Amino acid sequence: MSMLRKKLKKVDWSGYVFLFPALLILTLFLIFPIMWAFIASFKEIKPLEMKYSGLFNIPGEFVGISQYIEVFQNDLFIKSLFNTGYFAIIYIPITLISAAWLAILLNRKMKGVNFFRTVLFIPYIISIVSASLIFLYIFNSEQGMVNAMLHKFGGLNGPNWLSNSLLAMPVIAIMSSWKMIGYFMIIYLAGLQNIPYSLYEAADMDGANSFQKFWHVTWPLLGRITLVVSVLLMIDVLKVFQEVFVMTGGGPGDSTTTVPFLIFNEAFKYYRIGTASAMSYILFFIVIIITVIQKRSVDKRLG
Amino acid sequence: MRKKIAVQSIMWLSCFIFLLPLYWLCISSVKTTSEITRFPPTFWPDHFEWSNFTLIWERLDFTQTFMNSIVVSVSTTILSTLFGAMAGYALSKKRIFGKNVLYQALIGTMTVPPAVLLLPLFFIIIKFGFYDSLLSLILPFGVTVFAIFFMKQYIDDIPDELLEAARMDGCNEYRIFFQIVIPLIKPALTTLVIIEFVNNWNSFAMPLVLLQSEEKFTLPLKLAMLSSETVAVPWSQILAANLLTILPVVILFILLQRYFIKGIMDGAVKG
Repeated sequence: MSMLRKKLKKVDWSGYVFLFPALLILTLFLIFPIMWAFIASFKEIKPLEMKYSGLFNIPGEFVGISQYIEVFQNDLFIKSLFNTGYFAIIYIPITLISAAWLAILLNRKMKGVNFFRTVLFIPYIISIVSASLIFLYIFNSEQGMVNAMLHKFGGLNGPNWLSNSLLAMPVIAIMSSWKMIGYFMIIYLAGLQNIPYSLYEAADMDGANSFQKFWHVTWPLLGRITLVVSVLLMIDVLKVFQEVFVMTGGGPGDSTTTVPFLIFNEAFKYYRIGTASAMSYILFFIVIIITVIQKRSVDKRLG
Repeated sequence: MRKKIAVQSIMWLSCFIFLLPLYWLCISSVKTTSEITRFPPTFWPDHFEWSNFTLIWERLDFTQTFMNSIVVSVSTTILSTLFGAMAGYALSKKRIFGKNVLYQALIGTMTVPPAVLLLPLFFIIIKFGFYDSLLSLILPFGVTVFAIFFMKQYIDDIPDELLEAARMDGCNEYRIFFQIVIPLIKPALTTLVIIEFVNNWNSFAMPLVLLQSEEKFTLPLKLAMLSSETVAVPWSQILAANLLTILPVVILFILLQRYFIKGIMDGAVKG
């Protein structure tokens, strides 16, 4: 007995002590919620049942995949997928191209590199709510800066941006690009600075001109970062919620209702717990597919 | 030479475009109520109405809101940095049953969209009795997987021999962590502190779901309510409140941007 006790005392338990607080919090507030939503997506739960159930008890009747089917038959859900796609085809190219281009320009010795980097990065640390308020005002039809400039320099009467079902989503996308370009520029810069200088020296020795150096040294690496960045951008696209909440409330005519915004309404406006959970898991599934494809293609490129 | 000038001018132009929205925010926040509704709008205020700031401060009870935001952001930052470093150390240097599987599983959860967590967290927080209290915004975010991942990356670089030597000298495990590991990762800790602080300061979806009474609101929540307010608040005052909310993080960023940008670059290269 005392032998065992001695042995136990010799084992270093401190690792578990260090891990414990983090693991406790993550289990209760991350792992458990993830499982909770998964189970709830297969159950029909009445809000009232939730009120009287225990912490680890998810009430309701098991209904199989019927709620998933219901979600796919919901026109608004299909529409919100299309809306998200509309956001993506504006947001992703603008952000990707601007970020890469600015990073290439900044990746050289010149005056004011630090200043440029700081200025371009500032929008990223402003909260989405604050940024949305700024853009809500800039694109205001009467007092906004955009229409004021159109009026002053083009003599045009600008449209009522956020009340137009075709223009509202692009405004949100441009706001998001403004916020995120600086961040992705830094990611590109990190990648570019990782190119060993010796590669360029070797290219110089072989008598490569600056275009050849770009094509054979910079571009292959840039391509790999672009792959990673485009996945991050796609995941960004599936998170659009706060900007819609503040700027348009999903309108006009549901034209800016995104999937997360729909999930929020489904859950907290209509109290449809089961279908809201099913929608969130469909979203999760899309993210997983994107991540797996990205991982595959990165592995392929790396050989 | 000509190329250099071209690059410089493109950069200046980009900075100009990026700063335009912020310029419009600043000048609009000091316009008078009559000037802000004028059409077409002025590009420079006729008169600087500084009272916008004091008026909106009182109207929104901003002292309380600011305090709420500070309490939440500071507590979550301290907790998540401490617990993140502890867990990162355990996962990096300690023998733990099923360590790699656990670490991979944690990294995997980073792909879960926030929308998945919204509803379950709401019910869990109610069951805990934390609903509509600031504790509901602190406890669940007392550690993040990102914090653990970030800390582990840096602690991995500390040579094992260093810790072994301290052990030989009779240092106990807890002293090793607080007196050897922590000082060695100070720059990374600073970076994590800034990232966590900004994230929590800007957090919106969770407060929206977990808070109900207005005296508990954090800044982003109060601001968002302004835009949907039925009582007409003039835009100049909304923007003044917005500017006051943005200033603390922008100042913090400009002071500590070296750490912030380095953190993101390191994260990008290693991740």
